[in-house]
This record gives sequence, structure tokens and C-alpha cells, in this order.
Amino acid sequence: MTHRSNRTLQVAGLARVEGEGALHVRTVDGEVDRVELNIYEPPRFFEAFLRGRHFREPPDITARICGICPVAYQMSACLAIEDACGVRVEGPLRALRRLLYCGEWISSHALHIYLLHAPDFLGFPDGIALAREHRSVVERGLALKKAGNRIMDLVGGRAIHPVNVRVGGFYRVPTTDEIRGLTTTLRQALHDALATVEWVAAFDFPELEVPHDLMALRDVEGYPLDRGTPHISTGRSFPVAEFGDHVAEHQVPHSTALHARLDDRLFLVGPLARYSLNSDRLSPVAGEAASMAGLGPVCRNPFRSIVVRAVEVVYALEEALQIIDSYERPDAPCVEVAPRAGFGHGITEAPRGLLYHRYELDAAGRILDADIVPPTSQNQSAIEADVTAVVRSHQHLDDHGLQSLCEQTIRNYDPCISCSAHFLDLTRERA
Amino acid sequence: MTAVVIGVGNEFRRDDGIGPAVARAVAESGVHAEISDGDPARLLEAWDGADLVVIVDAIRCTPAVPGRWHRTTLPHSIPAASSHGLGVPEAVELAEALDRRPEHLVIYAVEVADVGFGIGLSPAVAAAAATLTSAVLTEVAEEFPGTDKISNS
Repeated sequence: MTHRSNRTLQVAGLARVEGEGALHVRTVDGEVDRVELNIYEPPRFFEAFLRGRHFREPPDITARICGICPVAYQMSACLAIEDACGVRVEGPLRALRRLLYCGEWISSHALHIYLLHAPDFLGFPDGIALAREHRSVVERGLALKKAGNRIMDLVGGRAIHPVNVRVGGFYRVPTTDEIRGLTTTLRQALHDALATVEWVAAFDFPELEVPHDLMALRDVEGYPLDRGTPHISTGRSFPVAEFGDHVAEHQVPHSTALHARLDDRLFLVGPLARYSLNSDRLSPVAGEAASMAGLGPVCRNPFRSIVVRAVEVVYALEEALQIIDSYERPDAPCVEVAPRAGFGHGITEAPRGLLYHRYELDAAGRILDADIVPPTSQNQSAIEADVTAVVRSHQHLDDHGLQSLCEQTIRNYDPCISCSAHFLDLTRERA
Repeated sequence: MTAVVIGVGNEFRRDDGIGPAVARAVAESGVHAEISDGDPARLLEAWDGADLVVIVDAIRCTPAVPGRWHRTTLPHSIPAASSHGLGVPEAVELAEALDRRPEHLVIYAVEVADVGFGIGLSPAVAAAAATLTSAVLTEVAEEFPGTDKISNS
């Protein structure tokens, strides 16, 4: 037994009010003995909060689950409740929802690419250090994020926890002039997004091809965002209402957050899955950017997710510009939705992956039961599997190098603990 | 010359809502005010173009005197009770790296008692909101003599 063959990496999380993340890695005789990602997630509290509430409340209540992807929660909540009530929002109102969602993708992806993920590839401890050395690059990232926020400000009412979304549509819809006022900003942002793809494509990517099943929405047309049917890389698909039959959550001893399996198999959701199942659906400029960046039709290297995110920002901007170009103010800001007893299911593509909501309503519109399955929960097992693979193939690294690579591996998934990961302390124990 | 008051915090985490509460109060006096979750990129956007930035945020101290507040221009030593991993100190650092730190940056940090789930300030922190609002309004008025109020634009 060598000195190095038994080691423990304990990455203990800084206590955060909204959640905690920690990583525990143990190797024995050079073999990976245990990898545990420990996340404490608040969403379960929300499921309990929702019981007994009025059916119009979930978009506002669930938007509070995440400050970075509130639109995703609002959209999945709306779809699920509208499904329960037998309503489908189409036409210009759906286009507006898609536009709002584009804003969130742009803003969320830009933050992750520039301030959270890129420093890993360039050897900087954080985004601030990156900004000191590459000021114009970080300024470009902030400008991109701001462009996304502008969409959310206008369509959502404000960028943080938008207040303009309601079951059936919106409280107020923007005028044509207001919407067209975004065009100049978004055209510049598209330019910045293409530069972003070029920038991240030149990074060095550790070798890792994951065998997990990939699951993402796929719609009858377009890249999946606000609706679609769950598709799996094995070629299978199932209706949204059968999500609970295929995705089973289970408890693990080391985490209060539920893990999930897809038909009893390891799977992942998010940009890699979305891209690999829908690369033929990218808009022309985004498709070209993907090719230029060296992405094939399928991408199974999680470290390249930063490239996929950059391509998705290009897509979101092209899509937003297209929606803006053809925008005509809807006659009414929403369609009427009357409550009825039953179940409703909604799935949309949050920036981090597929987000599922299910509600049971009574005839008066009171919520009897709620179930929310966020993407980070679904990805936990895949993250642990990736960390295991990375530790196994990088035993030669010292603890500092290995810890950095493990944290980078976790950040590939843009989990909600990303920002805390920069503050983690390492404790090393030797057997 | 423009000023902005930024209330940092989460109104659904009890006393963490003191920043937003003060921001709302000063806005009623016509001062440009914003509410922020403390995300550095958004803070930079919020103070973009402002000559004077006044940030009001909650801090947790041990032991704490809930409601006691501190005025500082050096945020680095202040442990913010932001509900996010990145907060005001990181925003200031990022702004310095990008040469976007405002000319005048003042932080009001309020000692808090309870940042658990729920709405509403604890009595001691709620009692401090009025004097804090006056202090912030005075700060803005002194920086811009001759005007009682700053236009909300």
C-alpha cells in the first residue's frame, strides 16, 4: 500500500442559508472507494407550502426556489396547472413566454460561462481574478448577461423573480415598440455570443465520455425550451404525464436531497442532453457556431458543456430576435383558465435541465398535492459517477490538483451549489 | 450627478429584508432606489452610471445587537448575511477589477436577529429602519447639496 493509495478528500461546504454542498472522496489501495456529493435543497419545503394554496399561486411561489432560474419554475408551474385545467397557451402568448425564457437562458448561461466555469479552464481561482487579467472578456460576459436581464425586465416585469407571469399568460403584455426596443441590444449580444463560442472552444478539455442515458425534451419543431416530450438517448420517449412512472426518486444516506434514476438507469439532463438530442434543431447561426467549435451531433464530454452553453446562448439570441421581429401585441394578456379537479403535469428546459412540476387540484382550484423535480436533483448521481471517473483517471494529481478537477467536474453541471464551491475548504486525511 | 440606494437582501428571510425595506422607504422620498439579491453582476448593473452608491445590507454578528447599524466605505471586513455565496464584497472586488467601482460607495450594515424563513422584520430591526432611512436620505442630500431629493431617473 503506498502512501498515496489511501486518501480522503473532504470538501466541506461553507454553510449557506439557501443550501449546502459538500464533496467527500475516499480512495483505498488506489481504487475509488466512495464519492458522495451532498446537497441540501430547499425545494421540498415548497412542495409542502403549496398544499392548500390557490391554483394561480405556484408561478409566484415556485419562482422563489431559484434566483437564477425563476422563469423555469414559473413556466413549468404554468404548464402543469394549465394541463390540469385543460388549457393550452398558443400563438403570440406562447412566443412571449419563449422570449422570456430566452432571456433567462442568456442571463444564466452567461453568468455560469464567464464567472463560474471559465476560471476553471484558465487557471484562475474565481471570476474576479479572471476579470483582473482579462477585463474586456469579463465585460463581454456581463454585457451578455445584461442583455438577458433586459428581456426579463421587459417581459417578466423584473429580472429577479419576475412578477408578470400568470397562469394563462401574463398580467401585462409589452407594446410592439417596447419589444422592438430590444433589437439593437440583442444584435450586439448575438455578436458577443458568437465571440463567446470561439473563446470557450479554444479551452483545453479533460478527456471524459459519459455513458449515462441522456434525457431532454424534444418538440415537433425548434430547440426545446418551453415545451416538448421527454426523449432519451436510447431512442425511447414517453408522454409528460408519465414522468413519474419513469423517473424514480430515492433517498441516499449521505444527502437530504433525493437522487433519481430513469427506468432504473443512471441518466443526466441539461445542456449535453439537450444538445445531443436536438442538435439538428439549432437555428442556422447557432448550428454553424457548434460546427466551428468542433461539436459533433452528439456531445458526451461534460467538460465541453461550457461550449454547448455558449452555443445555446447564440440560439437563444437568434430565437429572441426572431420572436421580436414577428411580434404583434396579443389582444389579451392571458387566456382564461378555470379550475377543475384533476392532475396536471408540466416540463420545461431550465438552463440546468429538465424541470418537472405536477399538481393535483380540487374542483375549486385548491392545490391538494405538488411534486417538483429539479434538474440538479436528477443530475446528482451522474455528477458522482463523473467525479468517480475523474478521480480514477487522475490518481497522479496531488490533493490540490485533484480537488480542483473534482470541483470543475461538479461545475460542469452548473448545479445551484456552484457559487459556494469557490469557498470550499479541503481537509485531507491519510489512512 | 446621480445617486442610487441599493437594498440588498431577501424579504422572505425575515431580517435579511432590512435592506429592501430601507430601499422602499427612501424611494418614497423620491430617491432612486433598487432592491438586489446581492449577485455581483446585477449589483454592477444597478450602480452603473451612479456617482454615489449607498448599499444597505444585513450582517450577522456574534454577539449581535439586533438593529444596531454601521456605516462604512470599506466592505471587505463586513461578513454579509446575503443568502447567496457571492455578495457585496465580491461585487466591489469585481467592480475594482473592471474599473467600475463608483466614485462614492457607502455601505450601511445592519446587525440582525433572525434570517429564518418567513416575512417581516424582528421588532429591534424594524425599529431601526426609520433612523436608518433618515441617515441614508441625509447621506444622499449631503453628497448633493442644494437638493433634498434626487430625481428617480
